Amino acid sequence: MKDINLKFFTITKYEQIIILLTIIIPLLFYDSPYMQGLFIFIMMWVVLGSSWNLLAGYTGQVSFGHAAYFGIGAYAAGLPFMHWGISPWWGLLTGGITAVVLGYLLGIVVFKLRGPYFALGTLATAEILRIIFGQEEWLTNGHNGILYVTTWVDKYPYYFIIWAIALATVFSVKALMKSKAGFYFLSIREDEDAAKAIGINTHKYKNISMAVSTFWAGTAGAFYMIYMGFIDPEVVFALHNISIITILVGIIGGVGTIWGPAVGAIIMVLVQELFRSAFFGLAPQWISKVHALVFGLLVIFVILYMAGGVVGDWDLIVKKFRKFRLKKATK
Amino acid sequence: MKLGKILSAILALAIILNFNGCSKKETGPIKIGVLLPLTGSKANFGEMEKNSFELAKEKINKAGGINGRQLQFIYEDDTGKPDVGRAGAEKLITVNKVPLITGGYSSSVTFAAAAVAQQYKVPFLVNTGSVDKITEPEAFNLTTKDGDKFYIYRLNPPVSEYASGLETLLSEVVKPKTVFIIHESTAFGTKGAKSFKKSAEKLGIKVLGVQSYSEGTVDFKPLLMNVWKKRPDVIYMISYVMDAAMLMKQARELGVKPKLFVGAGAGFTMPEFKANAGPASERVVSATLWHQTLPIKGAKEYFDNYIKKYGGNGPDYHGAEAYSAALVVADVLKRCNGDYSKENIKKALDATDMMTPFGPVKFTSYGKKIHQNKMRTYVVQWINGELKLVWPKNLANAKFEYPINWNKVWK
Amino acid sequence: MEMVLQSLVSGLLIGGLYAILGIGMTLIMGVLKIINLAHGQILMVSMYITWTLWYYLGIDPYLSIFISVPVIFFLAEAISKYLLNPLIEKESILPENQVLMTVGIGMVLVELARSIFTSDYRSVRTAYSDKVWHLGKISISFPLFVAFAFSLVLTAAMFYLLMKTDLGRSIRAASQDKIAATLMGISSEKITIFTYGLGSALIAAAGSVFLPVYYLYPDVGPLFTIKAFVITILGGMGSTIGAIAGGLVLGIAETFGATYISQGYRDAFGLFIFLVVLVFLPGGLKRFTKV
Repeated sequence: MKDINLKFFTITKYEQIIILLTIIIPLLFYDSPYMQGLFIFIMMWVVLGSSWNLLAGYTGQVSFGHAAYFGIGAYAAGLPFMHWGISPWWGLLTGGITAVVLGYLLGIVVFKLRGPYFALGTLATAEILRIIFGQEEWLTNGHNGILYVTTWVDKYPYYFIIWAIALATVFSVKALMKSKAGFYFLSIREDEDAAKAIGINTHKYKNISMAVSTFWAGTAGAFYMIYMGFIDPEVVFALHNISIITILVGIIGGVGTIWGPAVGAIIMVLVQELFRSAFFGLAPQWISKVHALVFGLLVIFVILYMAGGVVGDWDLIVKKFRKFRLKKATK
Repeated sequence: MKLGKILSAILALAIILNFNGCSKKETGPIKIGVLLPLTGSKANFGEMEKNSFELAKEKINKAGGINGRQLQFIYEDDTGKPDVGRAGAEKLITVNKVPLITGGYSSSVTFAAAAVAQQYKVPFLVNTGSVDKITEPEAFNLTTKDGDKFYIYRLNPPVSEYASGLETLLSEVVKPKTVFIIHESTAFGTKGAKSFKKSAEKLGIKVLGVQSYSEGTVDFKPLLMNVWKKRPDVIYMISYVMDAAMLMKQARELGVKPKLFVGAGAGFTMPEFKANAGPASERVVSATLWHQTLPIKGAKEYFDNYIKKYGGNGPDYHGAEAYSAALVVADVLKRCNGDYSKENIKKALDATDMMTPFGPVKFTSYGKKIHQNKMRTYVVQWINGELKLVWPKNLANAKFEYPINWNKVWK
Repeated sequence: MEMVLQSLVSGLLIGGLYAILGIGMTLIMGVLKIINLAHGQILMVSMYITWTLWYYLGIDPYLSIFISVPVIFFLAEAISKYLLNPLIEKESILPENQVLMTVGIGMVLVELARSIFTSDYRSVRTAYSDKVWHLGKISISFPLFVAFAFSLVLTAAMFYLLMKTDLGRSIRAASQDKIAATLMGISSEKITIFTYGLGSALIAAAGSVFLPVYYLYPDVGPLFTIKAFVITILGGMGSTIGAIAGGLVLGIAETFGATYISQGYRDAFGLFIFLVVLVFLPGGLKRFTKV
């Protein structure tokens, strides 16, 4: 295999292997919709994690409210269906765009803020949206949520749709980071004032980063509506289950790396599911009770010992592992 | 190569997961799936239901099981989230290959899981999830004539009928002119408020207002002041247990004194409600689906056995629903004559007509609903620290305390 | 008029409670410059300690402060020393690593509580649980009033500690300029560890006085975490007086909002004020109070 050079970015041979594997592995599980479902969730978290990573990991704007864009994308798909019977599938187009519009509007407020204030500001906006969508029943059907009977029972179509979205997300981030804009993003992350001083229109580039990031988050939301067939404000605007988990996916995999969030998504979904299902029922039942505890410990461990995440600290991990093997061998 | 090793490991896992349903022996236990919140914030209810399923299972298996085979429940934890519930239902169907699912606690999770069961054409016997649309085929793009295509069955009444027993109490004894409705902002709360508003208007009671609050509110006083400003005869509350306690405590502090405080089941019948509300729980009335003192065969026995095995204050209607669902499952399987296919189980479910400690179970169609067990509901009241059944009169074990002198009760 | 007064009283009392939560958060945010997302979970742990002491030993919740506060203080010092401080030296791309660590800590605390105590609701009942005072037509709940009075005392003590003692001056110095403080011979490591302990001890006290008013389950925390940082931003990071003012403003705003606009939007009022302050009044009320 050879690297493929495209106009905006290269697909390295490793990436080609990854793409092939993400096609082959799910096909191996042809008779297990349950596993296919897990793969779909992994891909959805790849989209969310990567979109967050562009804004936070590369541009330094650590959003604690990505649920706002995910949720608005889901409702962009669901509301026209509920009110006028328009197919939620249109959401794959409109969800992202709606999220970009919301992101731009919220950006007017939150981009005035820096560091922890930005984090808190984004968190607050997502929470406010959650409350509004729960209260305004005439518009959103409130906590009763929106239900849609999904189009297919078969999971493969869904998998390959979200797979394509995930690849598009990852490679759009890669392409951006190869471009001039990517360089500006990094300089904003390292020192916003310095970036401004050398003549970078920081406001503009923060908005570009935000737009791409929110577009994919909104698209993921729309996909969620189409695939799950049910949304309510507590689910799609969730602080912990969406916003925080999105960040943890990025952190575990590696902030500011192209493939980090993807790796983080795999780890997050598999670890949670392995423990929740007590290793597919092979381990004693009580293990399923501690799945959230294990995940919390994993987060602590990663932050403490692998600050760069699995991908960011990959060389370090390999080195340590070699040392460990060497020690064992010499004994 | 390392990659080769990893690939072969994945392949092996794939083979295991693809074919692990084939080695089932005909004499092994019959596996039935149960979907419940066993971790997360609703885990205490999930635990109560799981205990009840286990209690029933022991009883069934001790009595010879299902035509000689043992019954086994496979529990799947939905953690109280619709997406996890969906994945869990899928796992039960495709990995464990169960021919029937039961359980289903919170409305939104049950609904999401029901969509999965419907798509895979696996019968789902819901025992707690209560939003109306779960047994309305309309919500699944079917009509009420599609009974043979509709795989969802429900043992418990839908939320819109929780207050049916209460309606007669209000119209025959209390005869209030006005009511104010307070509800938690959840699917259960909003739906319950809407349907009670409808029944109140039907009974000629004027609804002075409907107000929602979010779960976990610390200070209900502003809400209660607004309610009491209108001086309603009855305050109707749809709340979970601790919100319910906070509401009553603060109503007492503010001196809110309508003719009657009425709870819509859910939290108002639980021992924790009394434990936290203290004297403020006194004389509060609640709709309920079940009470251990009901003259139903097995009700008291179930309640006592539960306490004997698990200790504590004993189960409320949630536990009784789960226990009875397990008995229905056993009854249905016994009538399958050894063919435990999904279709055969569905046919047996259709023909269900039995008595359980929760009441009679028979799946009927009415209105927009099909496969719905129609039940009467009851009214209980906290009298001198104990929950007593006060309505309907012929079943009651205590006299309905009314009118109430709040100054004396609250002291 | 009666309603206005009752709203005001209710809001003030709740605000007093918010204030203690806020002071803990404002200290931590001021000195460590992190958002402590485990704030509510520490409150939860303290409430479980209080509940356990009451349930098994019959110790009055107010007295259990003398146990819950030191226990939480040392727990928090350990968290800060072994989990948060090591991250300062670590090179990482985002400065938010410590914040995310608090998320992890919070998750672990909740799940531990759940595996020990299950998800059941707990509450304490004491002789004064239902005591109410009536001032004319205004009702005042006794335990809530105690919480309020207690928060005033605690705030005064904190104010004295920060303003008049060397330790307090060091903390304030570290919160204003860490590097300068280090140059002046203050061990910033010790100060950050101590501050996290102190801030958490304040929450522990809040937990003990709050339990008789409210109830307890493993997920009780997050709601109060959000309240605490709303107050912190409102009052200005690191400002004790600001936190009190912020707590009272939040309490009153919520109560009036709930009375005159909508109970359903109750939790949104605080967040909205919070955004407005963030954008239009950066620095919060500290800009007026200066301390």
